[in-house]
Amino acid sequence: MKLANRYNRVNILTSIVVFAITGLIYYVVIHFILTEKLDRDLVVEENEIRQYVDTYHKLPLPASYLDQKIAYKNLSGHVPEREFLYTRYYNAKEQENEPGRSLITVVYLNGKAVEVTITKSRVESEDLVRIILLITIGITLILLLSLLLINRFVLNRLWRPFYAILNGMKSFEVARMDAIAHEDTRIDEFNELHQSVNAMAERVRRDYKELKSFTDNASHEMMTPLAVINSKLDSLLQTESFTAQQGELLADVYHATGRLSRLHQSLLLLAKIENNLIPDFQEIDLKEMVEVKGRQFQELFEKDGLSLTTDLQVVEIKMSRYLADILLNNLFSNGVRHNITGGYIRVELSSVALIMANSGKPGNIQSKIFDRFSKSADSEGMGLGLAISKQICNLYGFRISYQEENGEHIFAVYFGG
Amino acid sequence: MKILVIEDEPALLESILAYFTGEGNICEHASDFALASEKIAVYSYDCILLDLGLPGGEGLELLTKLKQLKKRDGVLIISARHSLDDKLAGLDLGADDYLVKPFHLSELKARVSAIVRRKNFDGDNVIHFNEMAVDVSAMKVTVKGNLVILTKKEFDLLVYFLSNRNKVVTKNAMAEHLWGDEMDLSDDFDFIYTHVKNLRKKLLEAGAADYLRSVYGIGYKFGDI
Repeated sequence: MKLANRYNRVNILTSIVVFAITGLIYYVVIHFILTEKLDRDLVVEENEIRQYVDTYHKLPLPASYLDQKIAYKNLSGHVPEREFLYTRYYNAKEQENEPGRSLITVVYLNGKAVEVTITKSRVESEDLVRIILLITIGITLILLLSLLLINRFVLNRLWRPFYAILNGMKSFEVARMDAIAHEDTRIDEFNELHQSVNAMAERVRRDYKELKSFTDNASHEMMTPLAVINSKLDSLLQTESFTAQQGELLADVYHATGRLSRLHQSLLLLAKIENNLIPDFQEIDLKEMVEVKGRQFQELFEKDGLSLTTDLQVVEIKMSRYLADILLNNLFSNGVRHNITGGYIRVELSSVALIMANSGKPGNIQSKIFDRFSKSADSEGMGLGLAISKQICNLYGFRISYQEENGEHIFAVYFGG
Repeated sequence: MKILVIEDEPALLESILAYFTGEGNICEHASDFALASEKIAVYSYDCILLDLGLPGGEGLELLTKLKQLKKRDGVLIISARHSLDDKLAGLDLGADDYLVKPFHLSELKARVSAIVRRKNFDGDNVIHFNEMAVDVSAMKVTVKGNLVILTKKEFDLLVYFLSNRNKVVTKNAMAEHLWGDEMDLSDDFDFIYTHVKNLRKKLLEAGAADYLRSVYGIGYKFGDI
C-alpha cells in the first residue's frame, strides 16, 4: 500500500469518526438546551395559571393557541406527581398531530384537586435541530471531499520527487556513471534524500572501481609469473634432450601450473560474480546452448561410455551468456566427473527448471556440496565448480538444489527462485 | 612472416621469441610503449603480439595509433586481464584476437598463423607442407592430389600441428585448443589419442609420410623426421 493511500485511509476514517461523534454531541446538547427552554416556558405558564387561580379562584379558560394547549381534568382520589413528558397533541389549526412537550401539574381549586396539562409544540425546536443536523452533515461531507481531493492531487505532486529518486535507484547500475535523476523540489527531506542517495551511489562506484582494479592487478601480477613458467616449460619441451622420466616430471609440472591458473581464474570469477562485476546481460536461448554443450562434451561422454538423453523445451532466459556458459559447463562436467563407466546423463529443460541427472556412485556426497573447496575424496576438481554455479544462480535469483535418489544424482536449477 | 612482440616481461618475451624464430619467421620486439609506437609507425608487420599494461603507456592506445596510421597489421592481444570488458574493448579497437595469460606457446603460434592467414586471404590461403595441401577456408585436405576426408576436430588438429611444425605440443595444449576451457574438468587427455590416431591413419592411407611422433607421453610432434 502506498504511503499516500495509507495516509488517506487513516485520515478519512478518523475524520468520519470524529465528525460522527461531534455530530452526536451537538445533537444531544442542542436537544437538551431546547427542551430546557420549553420546560421553562411551561413552568412560566404553570405559574400564570396558579396566580390566576389564587387571584380569581377559578380556572382560566382552557385555551388552545397555535403552539400551546391547556387542558383540565378533575381528579378524584389519586393525585399524580408533577412531571414533564413528551407527548403528541392534535393541532386544530394545522389539523394534524404534532409532537409536543407537556407539563402535568395539579392545582387546588376550592379544595378540589384539578389536573392541569400544559402542552407546547415541539415542531419549531425539532425543525431547528434538523437544520443544524443538516448543516453539520453538509459541512462534514464538504470537508471529507476536500480532504480526498487534497490528498489525491496535492500529495501526489508532493511525493513525485520521491518516486523520481526511487526510480533512479531502481535503474542504478554500478558500471554506469550517470547520477540519479532528481526533480526540483522545495521539500528539504527529498533534497536531503537525493543528496544522500547520490553520495551513496558515488561510494558504491568508487568501491566498484577499486575492486575492479584490484582484481585486474591481482590477476596481472599472478598470471604473469604463471605465463613465464608455462612458456619456459614449452621452450624446455622443444630441446628434446630429456628422458621418459623427465617427460613425466614435465607433465606433472604442466599439470600443476594448469591447475594453478584454473584455480586463480575460478577464484577471480567467484569474486567478480559476488561483486556483480559482470555487466553482460542478454536474452539467451537456453535450449540451443544446452544442445551445443552436449556436442562439446561428446568426446568426454564417449570416453566413459556415457549416454546422454535430453528432453528440452525452448526456454529464453535473461542472463550473461558468459555465465550461462560457465554454469552449463560446470553442471555437465560435474555429471561426467561423478559418473560411472557406462552410465548416463539426463537433461531436462522446461520453463520452470533445468534438471541434470546422472548415474553415479551412491552416498558419497556431503551436505556442503555448494561450499567452496568442498569436494569428495576421489574428486579431481578443485571444489569450486558448484560454488561458482551457486553464485551464478544467486546473482539471477535462481535456486539450485541437489538430491540423490536411488544412485541418481540430480541437480536442478529453478528459474523462478 | 614478420612479427613484432610487444611484451615487458623479459622472461616471457625471450620464450616467445625463441619459439617463433626459425622457419623463415622474423621476430622483432619492443618492451616499452615508446619503442613499440616507434616501431609500429616505421615498419609493417604481419602480426603484432600486444601486451596490455606496458611501461610508459596503455597497450590499447597502440591499437588506436595503428588505426590512425591506417596500417593493416594483424594484432593479437596477450594479456593477463581476464575481464570481459577488456576483451571487448580490445576487439572493438580492431584487435584480431585476444589470448589470456598464461597460454601455451603452441596456442599462441596457432592463433598468430590464423591471423596472418586471414590477413593474406586474397593471396594464399592454402598451407603447403611437403605432399600435403590444406585449404583452410574450404576445410579441404589433399595429399598428392587425393582428397582426404577429415572430421572437424581432425582438421583443426592438423592445422594446429602445421602451425607448430617441428615443435613438441602437449596434449594439454591440444585439448585447450580444440575444446576451449571446458577441458579443466578432466586431467585425463586420453580421448585426444583417438583423434590423433584417426588423423594419422587417414593421412597415411592417403599416401602421406608419417610425420607424427609421440613424445614421452606428454605430447606429439609433427614435422619432418
